[in-house]
Amino acid sequence: MRPSSISARLISYLLAAALIAAATAVLFVMRQALDTSLVALLYLLPVGLITALWGLGPGATSALLAFLTFNYFFIQPYYTFAVHQPLDLVILMVFLIVAVVISQLVGRAQAGMAAATAREREATQLYELSTELAGLHDDQDIGRTLAEEAQTVFQGERLELDLGPDPAQLICLPADASPPERPPELTLPIQAARGALGEIRLWRAAPGISSGEKRLLQTFASQGALALERARLAQAESRAKILEESDRLKSAILSSVSHELRTPLATIKASATSLLSGEVDWDSPARNELLTAIDDEADHLNLVVGNLLDMSRIEAGALKPRREWNILSEIVGSVVSRMSRQVETHRLEIDLPEDLPLVPVDYVQIEQVFTNLLSNSLKYASGGTLIRIRAGVRDGSMVHVQVSNQGPRVPEEHLERIFDKFYRVTDADRVTGIGLGLSICKGIVEAHGGRIWGENLSEGFAFNFTLPLTRDGTPPRRLPAEPEDA
Amino acid sequence: MTTPPHILVIDDEPQILRALRTILTEKQFKVTTASRGEEGLTLAAASAPDIVILDLGLPDMDGIEVCARLREWTECPIIVLSVRDSERDKVAALDKGADDYLTKPFGIEELLARVRVALRHSARLSGSQTSIVEAGPLKIDLAWHTVTRDDEEVKLTATEFNLLAYLASNRGRVLTHQSILKQVWGPADADHTEYLRVYVRQLRKKLEADPDQPRYILTEPGVGYRFIADE
Repeated sequence: MRPSSISARLISYLLAAALIAAATAVLFVMRQALDTSLVALLYLLPVGLITALWGLGPGATSALLAFLTFNYFFIQPYYTFAVHQPLDLVILMVFLIVAVVISQLVGRAQAGMAAATAREREATQLYELSTELAGLHDDQDIGRTLAEEAQTVFQGERLELDLGPDPAQLICLPADASPPERPPELTLPIQAARGALGEIRLWRAAPGISSGEKRLLQTFASQGALALERARLAQAESRAKILEESDRLKSAILSSVSHELRTPLATIKASATSLLSGEVDWDSPARNELLTAIDDEADHLNLVVGNLLDMSRIEAGALKPRREWNILSEIVGSVVSRMSRQVETHRLEIDLPEDLPLVPVDYVQIEQVFTNLLSNSLKYASGGTLIRIRAGVRDGSMVHVQVSNQGPRVPEEHLERIFDKFYRVTDADRVTGIGLGLSICKGIVEAHGGRIWGENLSEGFAFNFTLPLTRDGTPPRRLPAEPEDA
Repeated sequence: MTTPPHILVIDDEPQILRALRTILTEKQFKVTTASRGEEGLTLAAASAPDIVILDLGLPDMDGIEVCARLREWTECPIIVLSVRDSERDKVAALDKGADDYLTKPFGIEELLARVRVALRHSARLSGSQTSIVEAGPLKIDLAWHTVTRDDEEVKLTATEFNLLAYLASNRGRVLTHQSILKQVWGPADADHTEYLRVYVRQLRKKLEADPDQPRYILTEPGVGYRFIADE
């Protein structure tokens, strides 16, 4: 119970005086029937009540008033402050001491309780703040939470939280109000071990900011500083972890890549030197075979290097699709004709509906996706089995493509990870490749705003991916129909 | 014997220069090489080559810039070499006047085919134009606006014919989406690739045996289209 303003305080004094006056009036009426010492006892009632209701000040004042009125109206000679009887003097003195002591005791208990309540509220607010802050890892979120909590508690005209020179790092509450044209009533630094991280500014002219509130805001600020420091440490730690991870990855790449590059190089070197040695007859079939081997392996090397470049582009976020309206069957057709030699070993079935709408994609990149999914299927499904490419519209806003094969199923726990870099389900010795193809597909599909996933079928395995059917939210333009001329 | 065609190769990689010089000389071309853009421009001005093979990744200046500078004074065919995934550069070079492009690494047959097409095209520009283009079963009469497939007339819409005629009169050469759209639909529609996709699809359905594996109207991924006619 803390009087919140001067006027409230004044009223409590006036009420105290009124209560004593009322008590005096009642007692005065019954003066004949009452003994002086009983009157003194009864006077203690309002004094205690007033102290309990309005605190120490009004209590003490009422004790003094009661003492005076008691003396004036009830001690002989009446209507003077003089005292003749020594007994009366004793009663009067005892009354004064008891009244003052009671008011002091009750008042102190009151003040203690008020302080305890205030402390409890502060503790609750701090607890709430620290619970809110505990889960946050981002400077902005921490700043916002701190500002909002502080504003809830302090109810300022305006509260600003400044976390740096960037305007985005300045949080103002309430957001829509313009700042008052005067310096803030309270400015506190957000002080961390390694220096100030920012500043809290509070505008609140009335009621003024008490020292307790200032202390509380200071505690808020240091809680905020702790949370910010913790977030920064966590960020630094995760950066360190990423670096470590990327180091690990780099050595994985190097060993995998050098193996993958050396194999075709070995073939090329062997074929070329054997041709150079002149030991292969000019028109023997062996000569043609060696030349074809060189040609094939050069293409293979080109593919590996292309995959590595694509991957580094995806990693660097530099894979920006040039989205143009395309016909899916055109893309699939060109992939199939380019891979015609490889797909000969399997049966290929392409089922793309004639009325499939145009898709806004980067032709070259989606070609790459089909090439990689097809190569993967060719690699894992045994020869002579069926590979199907199907597509259809899903939910009216996406095209859904499925490349399925009759190859081995992928254990459920690997389904997500097959799109990770350098991840493979089987041993590296048993299949060639560096394990980048599918992660490149994922990178490309996601850069297009689609999704890619693997799925086990009743017999075999399928890759699925989706692509949006609109570019910047719009479908392709329609063309007017034209008559056929001769 | 007529003088052999003169090819200027501008590329900064000595291995490529060595290989191209060997192969092209073997194929009876006269070959000059330059390893920098400025040097290439000087040599082109001094020796007036019949064809320029230009690598887009030069150390001293942008290959697209070299293209533009050459086009300021010569109409000689330019074939640009570039790596995969630089479709933007290829298109930019083609828009700046290059005639064709090849993606590294390329087979030598591809390069020779491009050279032949470019030489024939510049010969056509200077000589008389034939009005009939033949491609397998297809016969396109540019003057009479008729198309036959196995001697049977194919009905085309006006836009389809304009598109086919533009492709056929540039047979063998790559045409960018933009240049086709500008030519057939007009400059205002130069960005509407969707028109082109739809019309090419329609043409293929009418002209190709298998529209998904076309033999005559080929897609150049990310760049444009190319019409393959009989040689």
